[in-house]
Amino acid sequence: MKPQQLTRIWPQHETVLLLFIIAEVTYFSLFGRRFCTVDNFTNIVRHSLEIGLLALVMTPIILTAGIDLSVGSTLGLCAVLFGKLWRDAGLDPWLAQICTIGIGGLCGACNALLIAQMKLPPLIVTLATFSLFRGLAEAITQGVDAFTDFPESFLFLGSGQLGQLPIQAWILSAAAIGVWLLVHRTTFGRCFRAIGFSPEGALYAGLPVRRQLALVYVLAGLVAGLASLTYTARFGTAKADAGTGYELFAITAVVLGGTRIFGGVGSVHGTLLGVATLAILNNGLSRLPNLMNIASELSGIVTGVLLLLALTASALPHWLKANQK
Amino acid sequence: MRSLFSFLLVLSLAALSGCKPSEVALTAAVDTATNKKITLAFMPKSKGNAYFVSCRQGADAAAKELGIELIFDGPTQPDPAKQNEIIENWITLGVDVIAVACESKDGISTALRKARSKGVKIVTYDSDANPDARDFFVNQATPEGIGYALMDEAARLCNNSGEFAIITASLTAQNMIEWQKHIEARRLAKYPDMKNVALRPCDDLKDKAQAEATILLSAYPNLKLLMNICSPAVPGAAEAVKQAGKSGKVKVIGLGLPNENKRYVKDGTTDTVILWKTVDLGYLTVQAATALAKGQLKSGATHFEGGHLGKFKIVGDNILLGEPFKFTKDNIDQFDF
Repeated sequence: MKPQQLTRIWPQHETVLLLFIIAEVTYFSLFGRRFCTVDNFTNIVRHSLEIGLLALVMTPIILTAGIDLSVGSTLGLCAVLFGKLWRDAGLDPWLAQICTIGIGGLCGACNALLIAQMKLPPLIVTLATFSLFRGLAEAITQGVDAFTDFPESFLFLGSGQLGQLPIQAWILSAAAIGVWLLVHRTTFGRCFRAIGFSPEGALYAGLPVRRQLALVYVLAGLVAGLASLTYTARFGTAKADAGTGYELFAITAVVLGGTRIFGGVGSVHGTLLGVATLAILNNGLSRLPNLMNIASELSGIVTGVLLLLALTASALPHWLKANQK
Repeated sequence: MRSLFSFLLVLSLAALSGCKPSEVALTAAVDTATNKKITLAFMPKSKGNAYFVSCRQGADAAAKELGIELIFDGPTQPDPAKQNEIIENWITLGVDVIAVACESKDGISTALRKARSKGVKIVTYDSDANPDARDFFVNQATPEGIGYALMDEAARLCNNSGEFAIITASLTAQNMIEWQKHIEARRLAKYPDMKNVALRPCDDLKDKAQAEATILLSAYPNLKLLMNICSPAVPGAAEAVKQAGKSGKVKVIGLGLPNENKRYVKDGTTDTVILWKTVDLGYLTVQAATALAKGQLKSGATHFEGGHLGKFKIVGDNILLGEPFKFTKDNIDQFDF
């Protein structure tokens, strides 16, 4: 078979991932203990909301060939400040929530200023704010203070149900639809990919590159602020270590979902499939009778292997084509 | 692309709703099975911690003796949110009883209360949750037991008289303030010739403890003993004493793990490391949790028969592991944690 033909019949990344998820669900339903239950799927959705939200807003960032390592730390800082505003400043919970999302936006704006305006590399800027925001959260609480005893109306955000579905399902769907429309259905959003392919080219084509870049980082900050609220509500406690490592889980989901780390190629639904693949994997492995005791280690290994396979598979047709010449 | 997206939404909804019938069938099947065999889920603060690895040895041994199924899982790093997620998963997994060492008291209590409301029994060990979130707490050491053991050992090494200093983690740590209270009470009651000359914080850091110990050694030339009540301070103080060339002249004791002190205990700088037998802690926890699940252990009990370890006292809803254990030159090699 000629490489050209291979490229043509080579299935889309998202299709492969979807088939993989179906295989996962089938396998775990057959061999896992009580995997295919409403309660369990509710759990999977509830536990993946924060990483899902971060992965969704990470997608446009990576499409522009950027990265945001600070989202997990922003989540932690926002959680702590939300606790401060509510408990120590005595703000109404609703007002405190709005302020928290605003603070998240400010954190994002801080990244945006340095990346879009000063043209500093995103990897280094967000590596610095990754450390800065977490450090601030720890300093504010001296690492030990934890906020708890939140009002019932706020905790609803973490454990409530609307209709038959947990509140997390609604938030995630709304965010997914919003980001999907932005990236795939607006001219503004399509420019993300143009910037990822060639920032210079995009600039000479007259695209508002600076504004575009600023927007994706501010959006990430705002959504990290929102995620800090759902995280705190689900857990019932806000502490400085909230969301540690979440930036890496989010990036993993995005890349597994077929978004090219160098920018330009990728999709929001791919990211959602990436999030689902990992969440189902984590949950399912801890339900296999003989592997329960090493589930968390095993899921690390399988995630790594999957990521490598996904990257190799998507690069294979291009590699074959290049070697033909 | 739009069609793919809507297809996905439909699919996920179908997956959610389509599961209902099979859930009923599965639940029924598993429940009849668990009537015969109890499933116990056992969680450490973090899986890699040597302290909890040794707890697990005891837990495994007890599970084998009792013929129950033991699930051992927890965060790979100490992570209270992950502990919550695992507990919520265990609820849907249908375990009978959960034993957990809590990383965050308030954080985990929400999940534990949820488990209790679904009929899962809860035992905490090592570090407790809020009392209304669990049935029993397997308490490895009471503040009184720790305070008395430290003071008794200090007095024994100093022949009941002389100056000693305490190195603590921070002056505000609640558990350490509690221990100091009992150390002081014991001193007043039994060893009036012992004199506590200083109390220094080390921020739970080995380096800082070493610096503090060096200052204490020069400020109090008659110092006979350094008592360290947080674990990093024990090797820290020992290193300071060793570098000052005062090994054996100034005694070192404290609360800590055998492994990080082995070196100093063997060369005679540190005399005694006080802790509990972590293997026994795991063993007793599984014994108690199983008895609770079988309905043999009920609230209000005053003692508990813990397998080959014998009888344990219950005070309120605390099952007491008993007196702390002393690791010395003679026995420290038998322990690896």
